[in-house]
Amino acid sequence: MLRACNRLLRPAGRVAFYTIFIPSGLSQAEYRRAARAGPSAVTSHGRQQAELLRSAGFTGVREIDVTEAFLRATRAWYEARARYAGQLSQAEGEASFHERQRDYRLQARAIEAGLLRRSLFVAERAA
Amino acid sequence: MTRDKDTISRFHNRYSLPVTDAALAVEREVIGANVGASGYTTVAQADALIPELRLRPGTLLLDVGAGRGWPGLYLAQETGCRVVLADIPAPGLAAAVKRAREGRISDRASFVRAAAQYLPFQSSMFDAVVHTDTL
Repeated sequence: MLRACNRLLRPAGRVAFYTIFIPSGLSQAEYRRAARAGPSAVTSHGRQQAELLRSAGFTGVREIDVTEAFLRATRAWYEARARYAGQLSQAEGEASFHERQRDYRLQARAIEAGLLRRSLFVAERAA
Repeated sequence: MTRDKDTISRFHNRYSLPVTDAALAVEREVIGANVGASGYTTVAQADALIPELRLRPGTLLLDVGAGRGWPGLYLAQETGCRVVLADIPAPGLAAAVKRAREGRISDRASFVRAAAQYLPFQSSMFDAVVHTDTL
């Protein structure tokens, strides 16, 4: 996908993306827990993202860690949804509502344990 | 591939849910506005993208995995840039079309049903590309 982005950008065009990832250096058990707790679209490694950007032809790669804000947002989704539990479970279906709430709880715990991170990556297509 | 299909199906279902007052209140509290968001990118984080992508009037931005138009439509609204939104779930794109109309930026917004891996655009077409939690 990053190679596709590079192809689509004009020279000196810029890419910026937020991504949730599993940090390197975890044990196999921690990695499995992180993969279970993270959103379904997320499996990537942060360090790998920077390397992939460079190998896709990008320069000036920067990473800005936004994990604290990620934790705040995860907790906020859980707490705000809990306050509107009646209306939301009626709209979403009770099972789906509780499944999402469980996912937010698991995710918050994984972030607190250092098993999930979120960063903004910024880079430029070589001129 | 099954994992991808599951993810697409999950988002398709999420975007098909009725927009209730409760859902809008929760989104305002978490994200900071009603912008069609269901992830973790807040308004402050979307604002941070503007200088990073050097967006301004006339810039052409591609938002990959745009969902209901967040943050692509917001960035177009704030900067005057043009935006192309690409994603697979049709209910999300339909909501984005409606949002663009309501925000009076339909003339600067285009919508393409496409997967991130198979983007049907010409080379060197865009000034900037954004995506949020699609990798």
